[in-house]
Amino acid sequence: MTKETAQATAPTLRLTDIRKSFGPVHALKSISLEINRGEVIGLIGENGAGKSTLLKILTGIYQPDAGKIEVNGKSVKFRGPRDSSAAGIGVVHQEQSLFTNLSVAENIAISSGTGHRTGTRFGFYNWGQLNRSAAETLNIIGSKLNPKTRVGDLSFVDRQMVEIARAIRVDAGKDGSPLVILDEPTSLLERGETEVLEREIRKLKAFGSVIFVSHRLDEIIRNCDRILVMRNGELVADRVTSTVTEDELFKLMVGHASHASKKSRTSIDSSATPVLEVSRLSLKGKYSDISIAAHAGRITAIVGTSGSGREELSRAIFGAEKFDSGSIALNGSKVRGWRIPKAVSKGVGYVPSERKVEGMVGGYSAAENIVLTHPGKAAVGPIVLPWKRNKIAQEWFTTLDVRPNDIALELDRFSGGNQQKVVMAKWLNDPNLRVLVLDHPLRGLDPGAAETVNEQIKKACDKGAAVILLADTLEEALEMGDEILVMRDGAVTGHYDMNVDNPSTLDLLERMV
Amino acid sequence: MMTTTSSSGTAASVTIDTGEILTPNSSAKRRNIFAGIGEPVALIGALVVLIAIFSALNPRFATLTNLQNVLNQASLPIIIGVGATLVILIGSIDLSVEGVMAASGVAFVLMSANSRGGQDMGIAAFIVPVVLGTVLGALNGLIYTLLKVPSFIVTLGMWFIGFGIATILYGTDAYPELTDDNLTNWAAKINLGLPNVFWLAAALVVVSALVIRFTRFGRAALAIGNNEDIARANGMPVRKHKVTIFIIAGALSGVAGILATMQMGGTSNHIGEGYLFLTLPAVVIGGTSLAGGKGGVLRTFLGVILLTVLNNGLVLAGVSPNYQSALSGAILVVAIVAAAWSQRGRLRIAK
Repeated sequence: MTKETAQATAPTLRLTDIRKSFGPVHALKSISLEINRGEVIGLIGENGAGKSTLLKILTGIYQPDAGKIEVNGKSVKFRGPRDSSAAGIGVVHQEQSLFTNLSVAENIAISSGTGHRTGTRFGFYNWGQLNRSAAETLNIIGSKLNPKTRVGDLSFVDRQMVEIARAIRVDAGKDGSPLVILDEPTSLLERGETEVLEREIRKLKAFGSVIFVSHRLDEIIRNCDRILVMRNGELVADRVTSTVTEDELFKLMVGHASHASKKSRTSIDSSATPVLEVSRLSLKGKYSDISIAAHAGRITAIVGTSGSGREELSRAIFGAEKFDSGSIALNGSKVRGWRIPKAVSKGVGYVPSERKVEGMVGGYSAAENIVLTHPGKAAVGPIVLPWKRNKIAQEWFTTLDVRPNDIALELDRFSGGNQQKVVMAKWLNDPNLRVLVLDHPLRGLDPGAAETVNEQIKKACDKGAAVILLADTLEEALEMGDEILVMRDGAVTGHYDMNVDNPSTLDLLERMV
Repeated sequence: MMTTTSSSGTAASVTIDTGEILTPNSSAKRRNIFAGIGEPVALIGALVVLIAIFSALNPRFATLTNLQNVLNQASLPIIIGVGATLVILIGSIDLSVEGVMAASGVAFVLMSANSRGGQDMGIAAFIVPVVLGTVLGALNGLIYTLLKVPSFIVTLGMWFIGFGIATILYGTDAYPELTDDNLTNWAAKINLGLPNVFWLAAALVVVSALVIRFTRFGRAALAIGNNEDIARANGMPVRKHKVTIFIIAGALSGVAGILATMQMGGTSNHIGEGYLFLTLPAVVIGGTSLAGGKGGVLRTFLGVILLTVLNNGLVLAGVSPNYQSALSGAILVVAIVAAAWSQRGRLRIAK
């Protein structure tokens, strides 16, 4: 399947016929691939395509049932993460895997073997050496972080630098070049931060190779030399980047072409009262004097960098945070004592960006999550009727194509995309949904799941809800929004009605920074 | 709130002036300023205030004799506290302290020269109780890690198993008193100005502080307490470290049982009573987080001293024993609220 690259030196990584099953499920069916020194490989596939299983095999967490792994020409067997890291394979995880209570230097050294260079010998720490060694590693990737800083005090993007430093740690890959796996590193980054990471990837090319896993196809195309596509546990394509387009990649991943329909823009009936009216809302140090009129059936996309105050604003609309002055009105009547329970009872829904923390009860079944806030017909007074609940949940599962199709499964055990579908269903189950606040609803979702979620957002609009959207990317905001609000340093710096205006990403960007 | 974790980089310029709502950004800044020193400074401040008040109330409070007395009383909670701190650092809890102390205390007294007669087994009288504590600690750790039972439950059970062993060993005979004065006087005996038992406790604190700071084992304990899954993914022997820590805690409880018996000059199966509920609050007041990953034995040391001074001061101030218990309980709650106050902003940020 892999294209033979005629090169004198052995490839950094060669997999031959790797197989892995979990019970009756064939997670990986005969994967063979090669990665050469200095190459940046893009690895894409829908959730459940087998990407994570493959990565777990490369990092020693799973052992393959069959097949051969060769690193720099030598056949290896990984019995655990330490073996893989000793062979020069480092990972930057999707969910950050740093110890927030320890220093930068310790985090870089922590999985390394014992030895003088790493500053640990016979089980004892030599802090001086540990810090010097960390500084040396950080220097390679051009980071100026202080090794003694506590990781918990770092920003997200700085933590990612620490993860990269750990992945390429000096003692790793003594012979041959290191292989750094970036597992959806950008899914939680803001635009400017993504650029920092992309610069980092180019630096890594100079002395090692990279496997870059991402759901954002534009990023994959921008950064990778070669793209591997996985579907149903198989490698279905291995393409040089210059020969493919985003649409082709989508088709290869999902198995069918994208049928995302362009949203038809909804115009304002100016005589109607806005569903949600935010007037002169201010929170000291965060945002000031913000006014929004959100009409039924329209999506108001708010764009801005991470310090713009848009997140705090969106949380204030849901009653999750206080505001100092100003007011919020629903259907023309001002609300008082605005807190989450009140917001929920008035038909306001909120999909948070931190899905696992705020958006769902992971230990509950998917069905219980769906009827959590608006049980609708599933409940008679305080009593929930399980059979009715299950019926409602099953309808949502079918509508949203949630996989696996098991409403009794704990929500924790679904993939991110499917969890997000359930979180959406929870709010859509409210027949009186009036305002839906979405904070990065597509974060970490594969294109297929993202499409489903976007369709549901449009459906909510059709049913008369006003949507406030904090999009991941400007492109997403431009595609989805009927109205775009640009925020910078807590103030509105731009306002576009998409029926009239046609701003470019550059226009938005100019007003953001 | 959560989202701002990803934003501290760019948001810094606008978050300097935050109103009463504490954001992760500003709390991160505060943490930077006070990192590591805030709570100990507050503790020492509280200690100074207490000492000032009690000194004013009773001139006998601020004397060398009373200092020796306080340190003598504080030593056992410190020794137990070292083990408890290690256990809490990895995010677990050990409630078996009092049961283990009882078992080892009774074993010790029966193997030493005592008023019931029997044989003086010399050094074995010290070794066997410590081994007993070690075994109970190992059982704690093994049941906890292998059978995946919460440490809270396992050690609660072990508390009563230890107490049961003590009761069986104790039997129905008269209260056994140690007959060797060298043993009964050892703990409180003054050496270089301070009681023997305090030197032992202090040495233990220093050694364990060094272990936590300078060994892979100590760092791994902190890492496990912060995030067990990540620790495992980094190839750390999580189970081994956990069992080791429970063994250390069990052994220290065993030592404490011996010392308590020596201090009392004899023992019953109730010898351990009251120690757990002095030690655990002391660990928390010291600033070791019950969630794991944060804290240390030096903080526990301060916490124990604070509580011991409090109890001692109340006695000397002539507070009726009837009120003492309720009063020290109330002060404890206030102290814990105060200790947790600096973290209240952090509670809003998810891990």
